[in-house]
Amino acid sequence: MADDVSAYVRRVKRAAKILFYRRHRQPGVKGWELRRALGKEYLTVIDLLNQQLANVGLEVSTVFEGAERPDTPTSEQLDRARFYVTVKEPLTAADLVLSGWRVDDVAALVVTVSYIISKQGKAARRDIEQLLREKFPKWRVERSLNRYIRQGYLSEVDDVLYLDWRARAEIDQKSLIRLVIGGEATPASEPSEPSAASP
Amino acid sequence: MTSSRERDRLLRIISLCVAIERKGGNPFEVEVKEALETLRRYLPHWKALEDFALDAETLNRISSIVGLQGNWIKHRSSTLFVDPLLIELKIKMLDPDKLVEIFRRTWHPVVEMDRLSAKRIAEAVDYWNHLSPLEDRLMKLPEATGALDLASLEDLVKARLISEESFTALLRSFWLELKAQAGDGERIPYWDFIYAPSYEDTVVRAYLTSFLVTYGFAAMEVDPLEEATFLRPRPEPREVSFTEQTISFPISIDYERWKAQAEGR
Repeated sequence: MADDVSAYVRRVKRAAKILFYRRHRQPGVKGWELRRALGKEYLTVIDLLNQQLANVGLEVSTVFEGAERPDTPTSEQLDRARFYVTVKEPLTAADLVLSGWRVDDVAALVVTVSYIISKQGKAARRDIEQLLREKFPKWRVERSLNRYIRQGYLSEVDDVLYLDWRARAEIDQKSLIRLVIGGEATPASEPSEPSAASP
Repeated sequence: MTSSRERDRLLRIISLCVAIERKGGNPFEVEVKEALETLRRYLPHWKALEDFALDAETLNRISSIVGLQGNWIKHRSSTLFVDPLLIELKIKMLDPDKLVEIFRRTWHPVVEMDRLSAKRIAEAVDYWNHLSPLEDRLMKLPEATGALDLASLEDLVKARLISEESFTALLRSFWLELKAQAGDGERIPYWDFIYAPSYEDTVVRAYLTSFLVTYGFAAMEVDPLEEATFLRPRPEPREVSFTEQTISFPISIDYERWKAQAEGR
């Protein structure tokens, strides 16, 4: 029994190293890599890791191939899916400032992502540029879009923009759309700003 | 007999399907049932292969549209569907602070780390210690020794760097020598022609022979079974086009081979 526990502890630590440390062009690992490293019970190991990560506000996110997440993913879909460690709770306003994002870059990204989502996952680059140029100069629009492509939020094929791996891993698209149209997103545990004095 | 009107009808169906596929329009603009009925009606009229190909292409495009219609319904029934026009209007109305707030509430950044292991550091230190300084690694030309002086034409001829006669005239006389040795319309073994009493002269003759072949004065024939190479002089030099693809054929002027040739004479 103790051996089983220690084996799981070892595998959880290994899972943490595999998921945290970047080894490819993009972070995260494929499901088949986790299965090879952790064994066929890798999903159980990931669940155990998730319990530990929740204590520090992190979680393991799964991004499947294709636009929609399957309700009951098959083993083949899990093999091809990509696993990332992401921040579980929304950031505070102060954290967002520390992340280095300029307000205009964030605004342009939100506009671009929500527009692409509304167009079923793809939109002509010139349409997005036209939309952004209503409020930003041309040079900034081009620079921002190229930056999002480099960072992995967008991909471009034949002047058509798609959401890329980072947008699917980091952005809660359903909540984004609901917030844009004025509804409230499914409430997540909002972190509170640190207060100067506590009772 | 198939009419051009029927072909035009199919071409219009194809172009409509292609336009919707590429621009992402509403796939339900294509009346699939009516299009299939059209195909069924025209099918007995097809006689030529091109008409059957057109029919197959039309059917292929219609099936793509059916797939798009399925995706359209799936997307509309999903929670991600919102009228694009509404989104566009809402986006334009929102100020940057509100957009930032939306981003803050929906963004879960990926956490990643880079690492440098102790082993890799040790390898890097070892690499650095063994790496020669840059100026040692760059190749230096040997410095000139002796005084600089002018060389006369005689000096260059003695050094066999240039010939007294022009190169073309030299090549032509070499070609005439080849014709004389080979005979009319005949060929001569390569080594029989280039052989000279000294190895150095043999190399020079091989060098000139390469120009004979390159500039169309002679043809080189290779018998792969016998591993023999022959030269056949052309009656007149053939004009060579350097825009056509050419091949290189290396021949080794081996000292042992020359020696064997010399001993065989």
